[in-house]
Amino acid sequence: MFRERFSYDPLVLPFLLGLIFIVTYLALGAIRMIKNLPAEDKIRLGKSFFSKQILLSIREIFNECLLHLRIFKKNPVLGYMHMSIALGWFMMIVLAHVEVKLYAPSRFNLPYYPIFFRYFVRETQETLDGAVFFFLMDFFLLMVLSGVGIAMYKRFNSKATGLRRTTRLKWNDRIALYALWSIFPLRLLAESFTSGISGGSFLTRGFGMVFETFVSNDLHVRPTWWAYSLALGTFFFTLPFSRFMHIPTEMLLILFRNAGIKHRTTGTGIAQTEIYSCSRCGICIDACQMVSAARLENKATVYFIRELREGGRHNAWDMASACLMCRRCVEACPVKIESTLIRSALRQDWKMLRREPLSFLPVNHTGPARVIYFAGCMSHLTPGIEQSMVRIFEKTGTDFTFMDREGGICCGRPMMLAGETRAARELIDRNKKIILHSGADTLVTSCPICYRVFAEEYQLPLKVQHHSQFILQMMEQGKISPEFREGTRVVYHDPCELGRNSGIYEEPRKVIAAMARIEPVAEEREMGLCCGGHVGSISLTHHQRRRIAVQACNILLAPSPDAIVTACPLCKKTLMDATAEVPVVDIAQMVDNPELLRKHPNPVLQ
Amino acid sequence: MATDGQKKVVVIGGGIAGMEAAAQLARMGYDTTIVEKQARTGGNVANWDHLFPEGRLAGEVVQQLYQKLSPVRIITGSSVKKADMLEGQYILTLADGSVLTTDALVVSTGFRTFDAHRKEEYGYGIYDRVITSADLEGMLNEHQPLFPGRHKGPRRVAFIHCVGSRDEKVGNRYCSKACCAMAVKQASKVKELYPDAEVYCFYMDLRMFDRRYEQMYLDAQAKSGVNFIRGRLSEASEDLQGRLVIKAEDTLMSKPLKMTVDMLVLMVGMEPASGARSVAEMLKIPVGHDGFFNATNELLEANCSGTPGVFLAGTCTGPKTIPETIADARAAATAADAYLRKKS
Ligand SMILES: Cc1cc2nc3c(=O)[nH]c(=O)nc-3n(C[C@H](O)[C@H](O)[C@H](O)COP(=O)(O)OP(=O)(O)OC[C@H]3O[C@@H](n4cnc5c(N)ncnc54)[C@H](O)[C@@H]3O)c2cc1C
Ligand code: SF4
Repeated sequence: MFRERFSYDPLVLPFLLGLIFIVTYLALGAIRMIKNLPAEDKIRLGKSFFSKQILLSIREIFNECLLHLRIFKKNPVLGYMHMSIALGWFMMIVLAHVEVKLYAPSRFNLPYYPIFFRYFVRETQETLDGAVFFFLMDFFLLMVLSGVGIAMYKRFNSKATGLRRTTRLKWNDRIALYALWSIFPLRLLAESFTSGISGGSFLTRGFGMVFETFVSNDLHVRPTWWAYSLALGTFFFTLPFSRFMHIPTEMLLILFRNAGIKHRTTGTGIAQTEIYSCSRCGICIDACQMVSAARLENKATVYFIRELREGGRHNAWDMASACLMCRRCVEACPVKIESTLIRSALRQDWKMLRREPLSFLPVNHTGPARVIYFAGCMSHLTPGIEQSMVRIFEKTGTDFTFMDREGGICCGRPMMLAGETRAARELIDRNKKIILHSGADTLVTSCPICYRVFAEEYQLPLKVQHHSQFILQMMEQGKISPEFREGTRVVYHDPCELGRNSGIYEEPRKVIAAMARIEPVAEEREMGLCCGGHVGSISLTHHQRRRIAVQACNILLAPSPDAIVTACPLCKKTLMDATAEVPVVDIAQMVDNPELLRKHPNPVLQ
Repeated sequence: MATDGQKKVVVIGGGIAGMEAAAQLARMGYDTTIVEKQARTGGNVANWDHLFPEGRLAGEVVQQLYQKLSPVRIITGSSVKKADMLEGQYILTLADGSVLTTDALVVSTGFRTFDAHRKEEYGYGIYDRVITSADLEGMLNEHQPLFPGRHKGPRRVAFIHCVGSRDEKVGNRYCSKACCAMAVKQASKVKELYPDAEVYCFYMDLRMFDRRYEQMYLDAQAKSGVNFIRGRLSEASEDLQGRLVIKAEDTLMSKPLKMTVDMLVLMVGMEPASGARSVAEMLKIPVGHDGFFNATNELLEANCSGTPGVFLAGTCTGPKTIPETIADARAAATAADAYLRKKS
């Protein structure tokens, strides 16, 4: 039923050399990245191989590297595209190996043999096994081809796949991409030409028969198999220098993450692994408001990461300093590359601020009280919020002290974001002393930027609350019960630092829902918009920030609400400057003075 | 009033620019109508007290202008809702549905003062003792007490320049031009009313461009004893006694500064009038980023809008002081006259 024709032909060489090259390259690369891990992380990684984490990793590798479930969730068409190519190709390779194992076990040790099996053997599909294999091979080939078809279409018409923008590619990516695209049509051609001799199924046999009607000799069989091998070889040789490095690297990244390895500074293995795991799919381009609103196309994360990978540190710095650190791109990224952490780390490397001793800062103790309130610098710029909070504390009979009433010390987070970790530590230490001295059991802050650093960096032995959480708690205890305003419709703007970056989505919504109807917004919760005011950016101009703010306002105002409610002084201030149509109020102000929700069109826009 | 063949002009906005332009056009023999959206003419100036540089009374200035308006038809409490061009004439539909035809238009919609609520860090609308320059003018004009219910006068008053002007953050990059001189005038006035009070002006730089302004400034320093500090206010808050604590940087001394005051006066800048945008859309007048109208040539045709027969006068093309506004209004009348003559 099956007869071997040859076991070697020079046409396997491009493939074989490519394979040897890529395997060596990847092995060395993996060793290098693991070597770059700090010692404790190496131990973590080692341990993870012998625990159930490895099973988790295997499952995740299967889900993400083959099925691409996360991309699927973001964008089904893109998801199918990735899945059909990855899974289809993988299955073709597996099937080919099974075939060889079954029918030519003596050749199993020739690495090229399964790939060129159809070229080497003459098989018929008369046997049941044969028919099944032929069918499956054709089925998966068709699957891959459909994915490649979408990929080609997407390249020329990105909107069709639901992406507004697609990544601009450099030549290295293009060569690899075209090589990858050509592998499968060439395989189809090659197999179709040999299908008369070696057999085939619905696809290859069908094509084969069509070809037979106008090409009568088999002179083109060898050239097409050559071309197939060359395409494979080219792909392997260009892979390390192209975005397709993400395929092998993502597996390593999954192993690292599941071992619990965290970011430190650049140059450590995890950051590098993340950089190589970027598939340049470009989903982050659409997520980035610097691109969509401020038209800074080249600042998108995909280009930032490419710049880092290709050694353009200077440009990378430029990109790192512009970013607002809102983390929308991370939320959108199917690989979950923590690009803002990579940026912070880069900022730390640069040390651009002048470092002056902070010893002049006073440590003014307050208290004692049960609750210590820290309004934050941003709230000082929106004193309406502070005033409302003081009234809420008084109304609820809370025993509180106002830590920075007369101006306090910065929480440290802006310094942290700028990469000035040491200066930030100094501020943190000073504030911590005041907080602990007050004897309070709860720290309430009005600013989500401060909230995050209090919660993540201060390691306080007390409860840290954003004021939306505190207000909700007071409502639940019946200490304040604002009235529901029939007919008032508002939208809620999720502050980046409170929502996406601290996971507080529900508390503010519950507070608002007790007072007015909340209209859904096109982009909210995890994909909540950045207002453009974030202290995370070091270099965006005011004009660029404003464009982002205007974009956010336009989306927030789509349901024509009576007011925009938010829970961050900075968001409030930024949005307020960008819209004159409706009032922008903080949740604390709304609870304190519901009249603020009354829509008052600002005459400027009339 | 209208005689056969007499050409007609409509002036939109009856501030001092509109009044002066209308008076001039009527004098030239045109059938002139002012459409003013408020109940009275005079615009912003009608709210002011003593005017710089010489301290003339605003009410008197407006009255003098008004006296020249006897041949002019004045429609108050209305505005133009629609404008159609037909055979070289404009057909205007007013808010009440009535219709006016006209051969030319002078647009003099003026300005509105910057809404100080938008600079929330200065506490306007939050703390009682934060007021704007426009509020102060109104209080002085109506002889209201500045510190109701208090026997003693204020210990310290601060004036803050450039509120809503020269401020990227609120989207206004331009200088409002009149407020430096106004601050000097108001600060001297407060000092005159409360000689024991310390009065401070916080400025970015003092724009004393007119021949008489520098003298006003020197007098304020030397005679009235007003203190000038170069620095921008960062924020204001209230202390436990209800006085205001302001923070700024003295940029000449390079030192941060904190001061407790009894009253804070914000020198609010000028922004395009409310409704200016719809007027611009209706009459196809080009509008700059800042919302003020753009003339076809800001050097030589500062009153031409680019739309045939539509001319611009006064602060609708950018901040101006009163003499500048008056000169501009006359220029607009001359430009309209040239257009109407050519047309016939
Ligand atoms: C606090 C303050 C104090 C000042 N003090 C001085 C001073 O002492 N000396 C000095 O030289 N300058 C002073 N100025 C500047 C002075 O106010 C202006 O130069 C002057 O008001 C400009 O006049 P205008 O006619 O261009 O605009 P406006 O005074 O604004 O008049 C515009 C008029 O048009 C009307 N209008 C607007 N839109 C429409 C519409 N769509 N339809 C119909 N009507 C409309 C308005 O109701 C208004 O009546 C001061 C400015 C401020 C803010
Ligand atoms: S005139 Fe003076 S106060 Fe007014 S905007 Fe210009 S510089 Fe500022």
